[in-house]
Amino acid sequence: MTIARPRRRVQPRLVRPRLVEPEDRGIASAADRRRPVVRRSYRALHGILLVLLVVVGLGPILWLFKAAVTPTQDTLRDPMGLFPHGVDLQNLVTAWTEVHIDVQFVNTIWIALGSWAVQILVATTAGYVLSVLRPRIARVLNGMVLATLFVPAIVLLVPLYLVVLHPPLIGQSMLNTFWAVWLPAGANAFNILLVTRFFDSLPREVFEAARTDGAGPFRLFWSIVLPMSKPILGVVSVFAVIAAWKDYLWPLLVLRDPAVQPLSVRLPTLQKAIELDVYLAALAISTLIPIVLFLVFQRLILRGAGLGGAVKG
Amino acid sequence: MKSSRRIAIAGLAALATAASLAACSPTPAATTADGKVDLRVVSLIPGSDQKAFDAFDAQVEQFEKANPDIHVTSEEYEWTGPTFAAQLAGGTLPDVFTIPFTDVQTLIANGQLADLTDEVNGLDYAASFNPNVLAVSSDAGGRIFGVPTAAYGNALHYNRALFEQAGLDPDSPPTTWDEVRADAKTIAEKTGKAGYATMTQNNTGGWQLAVATYARGGRLETVHGDTVTVTADNTGTKAALEYLHTLRWDDDAMGNNFLLDWGTINQAFGAGEIGMYTSGSDIYTNLVQAQKLDPATYGLTTLPLEGADAGVLTGGTVAAVNIKADDAHRAAAVKWIDFYYMQKLVNQDAAVLDAKTLSESDQPVGVPALPIFDQATLDTSREWVKDYINVPQDQVQFFLDGIFDQPILPEPKAHTQELYAALDNVVQAVLTDENADIDSLLTRVNTDVQALVDADA
Amino acid sequence: MTTTELRPGADAPIAAVLPDGSAPPRRRRRGSPLVLLRGGLATLVFLVPMLVVFGVFSWYPIVQAAIMSLQKTNLVTDPTWVGLANFVTVLKNPDTWVALRNTGWFALLALLFGYPVPLVAAVLMSEVRRLRGLFTALAYLPVVVPPVVAVLLWKFFYDANPTGVFNTVLGWVGIPPQPWIQNAVAAMPSLVVEATWAAAGGTVIIYLAALTSVPPELYDAAEVDGAGLWRKIQHVTLPQLRGVLFVTLILQVIGTAQVFLEPFLFTGGGPNNSTLTILLLVYRYAFQNSLGGDYGAATALSLVLAVLLAVLSIVYFRITRRWSS
Repeated sequence: MTIARPRRRVQPRLVRPRLVEPEDRGIASAADRRRPVVRRSYRALHGILLVLLVVVGLGPILWLFKAAVTPTQDTLRDPMGLFPHGVDLQNLVTAWTEVHIDVQFVNTIWIALGSWAVQILVATTAGYVLSVLRPRIARVLNGMVLATLFVPAIVLLVPLYLVVLHPPLIGQSMLNTFWAVWLPAGANAFNILLVTRFFDSLPREVFEAARTDGAGPFRLFWSIVLPMSKPILGVVSVFAVIAAWKDYLWPLLVLRDPAVQPLSVRLPTLQKAIELDVYLAALAISTLIPIVLFLVFQRLILRGAGLGGAVKG
Repeated sequence: MKSSRRIAIAGLAALATAASLAACSPTPAATTADGKVDLRVVSLIPGSDQKAFDAFDAQVEQFEKANPDIHVTSEEYEWTGPTFAAQLAGGTLPDVFTIPFTDVQTLIANGQLADLTDEVNGLDYAASFNPNVLAVSSDAGGRIFGVPTAAYGNALHYNRALFEQAGLDPDSPPTTWDEVRADAKTIAEKTGKAGYATMTQNNTGGWQLAVATYARGGRLETVHGDTVTVTADNTGTKAALEYLHTLRWDDDAMGNNFLLDWGTINQAFGAGEIGMYTSGSDIYTNLVQAQKLDPATYGLTTLPLEGADAGVLTGGTVAAVNIKADDAHRAAAVKWIDFYYMQKLVNQDAAVLDAKTLSESDQPVGVPALPIFDQATLDTSREWVKDYINVPQDQVQFFLDGIFDQPILPEPKAHTQELYAALDNVVQAVLTDENADIDSLLTRVNTDVQALVDADA
Repeated sequence: MTTTELRPGADAPIAAVLPDGSAPPRRRRRGSPLVLLRGGLATLVFLVPMLVVFGVFSWYPIVQAAIMSLQKTNLVTDPTWVGLANFVTVLKNPDTWVALRNTGWFALLALLFGYPVPLVAAVLMSEVRRLRGLFTALAYLPVVVPPVVAVLLWKFFYDANPTGVFNTVLGWVGIPPQPWIQNAVAAMPSLVVEATWAAAGGTVIIYLAALTSVPPELYDAAEVDGAGLWRKIQHVTLPQLRGVLFVTLILQVIGTAQVFLEPFLFTGGGPNNSTLTILLLVYRYAFQNSLGGDYGAATALSLVLAVLLAVLSIVYFRITRRWSS
């Protein structure tokens, strides 16, 4: 896998990490690799690893896709059998049209997009203030943001629920609206940390030059800082979208109306309410699209996950 | 500078969103644009099949036609502890919702339910409620805060197909706990399915242990004046747990999956995985609507009662109205309760129309229930709709014949949910740990729940 | 600097994975000249999103949490001040200690299953020359499956009947059916296996990123000294990974201490509280009772957990700093 060559633009070369790129060399030297013992054991180990990865990584997902088009009784009696009584594509249709997981599907996308937008907005503007504009209170604000890193999300569960119920100033409950998920998602100190540190690493000379050319703070942000920040915005975006997918407890609490629920909240409810084959079809549909997205954006996602992953775990 | 203005706008987006929030949140009591009362009601439990929702929509249409000044908005609803708690705290309950008998008194005491005395007394059948049933939804002063809409008794549900496969006669279901055990063992041996199963999770384990306790003459709480004593370690409960222990560990007749609640045990039964279990007599609706049960395999009979004070634990549903509803909404709400829940019980035309609507969309008609009014009213209403009844009556006849001779008992009153939650663990322990110490487990439940009861005093 | 150089040592864990790997620039004496340029209004506009979002959805609720932990409140009746009574209630509840033990057990198992496996896989994968993309994609695939779907799917796999998915597979090799999540002893490891399956791919990618940025010169130098393959791994690879390993370890512990989804969806805390975790207990306090939860106790317990984790992190960083210097 290769990463696209850096384009000629105001893009600092120092932020080109060599990540999943194949190296010129690894632990084994070229000489090592020529030794038959090393070569053979490498080949064997890699073969075993590949088989394991296929069985463990791909196996359960393939099983799900198989079960999605298998009648209930076949799945119950002979779960590992391959279509003993034929294929039932109707399951997928029923899950989509009658159980209406299409609604929750669209909701999931909305929730991910909205959370992403709020997180990007907050992280970039905050990072810009804390790293580039640096007003007198930047230090205090930075401390207050970092302090929230030490408060586990669980502490906020109940008080945050109350805030969403009776938001200050607005007074109108945000329950059962996407805002209840979007806005709290923005209060993410990791994002601000990542972006601020990234902005810190940008060459100051570029800013000075822009300033000399008469660029104000808005223009500096929009035309200089943001375009230079694509790598880190990619990382934040990957996290934002994945987190929105994963989130369960919070949307479970604040999105009680099925019309606004994401799949993650709806599927457990349906578990005991619909027939098994249709249910497995619903699970399969919920998995298929993320997998397709992953395969399309594989490079971006893996790079983002490798880059920022160590910070966020 | 064009871009800087864009940024400024983006920067203020968080504030701008605040303003738009007001526009997209639901308001509890509202009127529609054309001046109608917009009434929010609960419909069916999530995942019910489309035909059931169609039947519900048809009834809404009939209601709106008869009440042109009311517009009904419905939302799917299943009463569970966590969802109800969140809706209650969040103030997101619709105008009309349903709650189990056990919750009503506390909700009245906490001022969470609208006073419906005047509206209910305006109904022509108000005087004919069974006084014991109406007491469930009234306060000490006789003010009415809800309308009991259905009552059920716990009963033994069994799978006729599994009985036949095991060589048992589905037309002679067990009548004693020993016979239940023998049949369960036979089913497990002959079919490999669970002969007998019980709920264990989300407070339903405690609930069904209460059922088993009552059926053996035990009580989980005793009341003397104002003093409540928790008696989880009574002989009835112990006998019930030892019975489960025998079926599980000596007979291996309870299958392999023990983490079940109301929904999942119905699902397992619907999929033909369970021979017998106890639950409310009214679950047929759920079995058909959500679990796709084949009606031909369904059998229902009364619980075996053994011991001096044995009785059947009953429960039911009360339709209540949100405390936030204004006069117009309260009036509309009682109209809806009257139309949707009550008329089919008291009015021949309504009963026939209801039954016709349901049966046309293959929904169950004639599900076994206990009387809200009196036995005669219940019999009459069944007579009206007898042409539409599609619940196989001969398969539930054992229950219908026996239930009215069984003593009816209410659920334990003090800290019911905490008691049930604590007992969940005991049932789970007995089913998953062969060496579970029943006595000490029950003693701990006693201590813990008694502490909660005492804290109230 | 064109390569990412991972600075070993956990004293600057965050800097270690920054894009350029550099230490943060030393703060200039109060801001750059840019502050003075068009200062006030613009700064304020850029501050608004953060102030609003953090103010309303982070700082204010944190203060609220501290207040609520000293109150008896169910959101229905008026709250009353009870001092430290909630903390006493929570600490006196035997379930709290059960939950603490279970959470610790989960975290430990998650480390045992989820720490070495991705490391070995990543080291092996870093040596793959062809089809590296296929390897990484396969490893990462489970991470892409929505976690709720993963749990619900595995719940079906864990069916304890002989016809369950895993039990069928075990039957092929003559192993009798296992109870999986239906047994107090087996339940927790079963949960951890699923959680590891769902998360290991992410860890592999992180290690892989760190491995590929080990400067090749170090290997060259080691070879000059006559080091073989195994010694290179021992003396170059692992020490170079130390920083990342330290950070992922503590983050994994903090993450697993807040486990909720798996016990909630798999077992509801059962059988007999054997998978009851702290977060699940908080949830029970707050939302189990339909008549209104004990929100004071719920917040008090969360604060106890928060303090525990903070202490743990501080101690950890103290210790690892000594090791890595």
